Amino acid sequence: MALISELSTAKRGATHHGAAFAPIAALVALACATPALAAVLFSLAPSGGTFTAGGLLVDGALGTLALAIVGGGGAVLFGATSAWLVSLCTFPGRNAFEWLLVLPLAAPSYVLAYSYASLTWAGGPFPLAIDGFWGAAFIYAIGLYPYVYLAMRAGLAGRHAIAFEAARSLGARPRDLFWRVALPLARPALVAGGALAAMEIAADYGAAQHFGLTTLSTAIFRAWYSHGDPISALRIATVLLVGAVALLVAERAARGQARFHLTRWRPMARLVLSPVACAGAFGFCALLVLLGAGLPLAWLGRLALLHPSVEDLAGPLTNTLALASVGAFATLCCAVLIAVAARRGGAARFAAFVAGSGYAAPGAVIAFGALMAFGAARDAGWVGGFGSSLALAALLWTYVARFTAAGVQPIEAGFARTPAHINAAAATLGAGSWRRLVQIDLPIAAPSLAAAALILFVEIVKELPATLILRPLNFDTLAVKAHAYASDERLLEAAAPALLIFVVGLAPLLILSRGISGPSR
Amino acid sequence: MSALELSRVSRFYHDAAVLDSISLDTPTAGVLALLGPSGSGKSTLLRLIAGLEPLDAGEIWLGGEIASSPSRTLAPELRRVGMVFQDHALFPHMSAGANIAFGLHQLGRATRDAAARAWLDRVGLAGRADSFPHELSGGETQRVALARTLATQPRIVLLDEPFSGLDQVLRAELRGFTLATLAETNTGAVFVTHDASEALTVADKLAILRGGRLLQAGAPRDTYDHPASPAAAASLGPVNAFSSRVERGFAATPFGAVTAPNLTEGAHATVIVRAEAIVLRPGAMARLSSLRPHGAHDLAILEADGTVWQALVPSRSELGDHVDVTLQPSGAFVFPA
Repeated sequence: MALISELSTAKRGATHHGAAFAPIAALVALACATPALAAVLFSLAPSGGTFTAGGLLVDGALGTLALAIVGGGGAVLFGATSAWLVSLCTFPGRNAFEWLLVLPLAAPSYVLAYSYASLTWAGGPFPLAIDGFWGAAFIYAIGLYPYVYLAMRAGLAGRHAIAFEAARSLGARPRDLFWRVALPLARPALVAGGALAAMEIAADYGAAQHFGLTTLSTAIFRAWYSHGDPISALRIATVLLVGAVALLVAERAARGQARFHLTRWRPMARLVLSPVACAGAFGFCALLVLLGAGLPLAWLGRLALLHPSVEDLAGPLTNTLALASVGAFATLCCAVLIAVAARRGGAARFAAFVAGSGYAAPGAVIAFGALMAFGAARDAGWVGGFGSSLALAALLWTYVARFTAAGVQPIEAGFARTPAHINAAAATLGAGSWRRLVQIDLPIAAPSLAAAALILFVEIVKELPATLILRPLNFDTLAVKAHAYASDERLLEAAAPALLIFVVGLAPLLILSRGISGPSR
Repeated sequence: MSALELSRVSRFYHDAAVLDSISLDTPTAGVLALLGPSGSGKSTLLRLIAGLEPLDAGEIWLGGEIASSPSRTLAPELRRVGMVFQDHALFPHMSAGANIAFGLHQLGRATRDAAARAWLDRVGLAGRADSFPHELSGGETQRVALARTLATQPRIVLLDEPFSGLDQVLRAELRGFTLATLAETNTGAVFVTHDASEALTVADKLAILRGGRLLQAGAPRDTYDHPASPAAAASLGPVNAFSSRVERGFAATPFGAVTAPNLTEGAHATVIVRAEAIVLRPGAMARLSSLRPHGAHDLAILEADGTVWQALVPSRSELGDHVDVTLQPSGAFVFPA
């Protein structure tokens, strides 16, 4: 989703258009924020006893912090270097690496973790153990560097092309270009990308859990299920939420400074590298693609072929497709309403930000928050028992809460591409708000809507913790199935569902990444 | 009753007045030209009239009904105010015919399509109903935009520099066509432009805006012949400004005195002389430092008494290095300094 978010430009206030949608958008934003708010509110309730999970909270916070620093640092290093090479240098394969380098985004961290765990376990083809803290840090660095890569690419190749050309005409050497021009100019992009990677690390449950680490995400589960202490779980969740929102604010602020403008892409004369440097650049980029996507994909494919479990997967696959389709549609509708209202600016932009904070909230936080909200509603007699259909509704609600922001960004980018006066023209021709939305805005933004739908579909397919918590009994998705097998150390059986998730995740990247490299040529 | 009446209309962005207490009205039919440089507020004024932005003070009346006040802005779709945009704003995903039919959705499909075809025919684009905007030339999109607007039978049409992207020849042709079509349909229009000669050509009434203020409004000939201020005079063509003092009812310039009937004796004055109101013939009063072609005229640069003047003179004038200068009273004005 960062793919699109980095390219989005919000254009505001073209007409009165959003006014009619503002109340609906406010409701949607409230619905998006409610689970996270519920988590915070219930964590403040007196637990009836003492806070039993203080040690867990401290360990979790330290674990998350350490992973964010080491794993996030690795992602920043890999992402910034590869973006610098691809944006400003010429070497064999550069055009292909432009989009190949984003492929690791296809796999959620837990899929990479399962793949590497089975690749390197005892008796596997690689004797090097990828496990524990350093294993997780490696998985995050190699899986999340594309967030930094994308932000840096936009920052380096956009409006700054002219600065590089000026610096070169003033005699700057490649080293000066990197340290004195590229790095200072791209610093906001670096911060934005790094914050996104850190948010993903903080939100990750599957990989950390698989490597047996105590992070805030795994601590929430442990407090809730092992200690049977929901209030402690929610308090840990609140700490995680605060950290994630802080990262989101940092990302937004940095992105605001960076102001990536798609329209300003222009071709740039790139540095020609020496043969040795060429080989080094090629090797570095190839290694990143190989470790982040090629190797785990191939290995999962091999395992899945060796241990086909088709009949086992039919149910989870159907469930996943149905859930992701309905969830993506519901989320898309909410995202459209927010994006339309946000064009008006002012309070509606605040609604967009509120909905956006749902994106910062990790799945586990949102799911437990929704669970508490439903529990309170049941106690109040508003809803009946927590049956299958209610559980599915709660699950869809958490998807909407978590991913609406991810849909808003590409839709806003689509709206921003609408010629300036189109909407005003429709209004002066007598078309009201709804007619303008249906006949003008949505058809023109159709490609962006399709992109948004695809992104949301994939995000829901990949989502693990919320699905794990809220799914009805015996309702398995691919992610839940992969997690269940991996938890039982049955990594061979986990390969097939993990592979399916990976392949589904590749689809939008292959389609959308052309949009990143396209304009620069 | 005026089709459009503006009463002390103001609009602020971040406490800065973009429009400052503008009062204007239009005749029921005919063209009101709004002339002003970039940033003068003319496009904002158009958006206020269309209802695309709220106003902060004053009132806008349309056909005797109040359309905008600080407390209420009638939605643009309810105003029956047509607008032709600078970039024409055709819907890119609809054919030319569908663009025109868009504003007629209250009609039945057959009637609507027939009306769209009739309008295409009228603007000389018969047979292009199925063409999409990207398949049309600049002039053709402008015609479709005009037809789309007029098809809805608006009570007034707003034209926001509609010819600015076109070359001179096409511009003149489309301007004539647009004015003729507006006249045929008896539709009043507000025409925004930054081109003084265009404003003078199209206007039945001319309003000059600068810095969000209305400098002057009136019939184009009156406005040209009797500017209300040095800025209003300069808005309609190149002028020379000279600081002077009133003596015995006249303000002196290096090239003769100009009558200053309403100023008191001894007052400081600014003399404004239109470049085309300067007549040159070979002589000795001023040095002719440059004489270059300037469209239908030649632009002459004169130096005398340490001042530099510009004059528009008949082209290919044989003048030599030094000239005598006469100021025509109809193009020379004195304002209090």
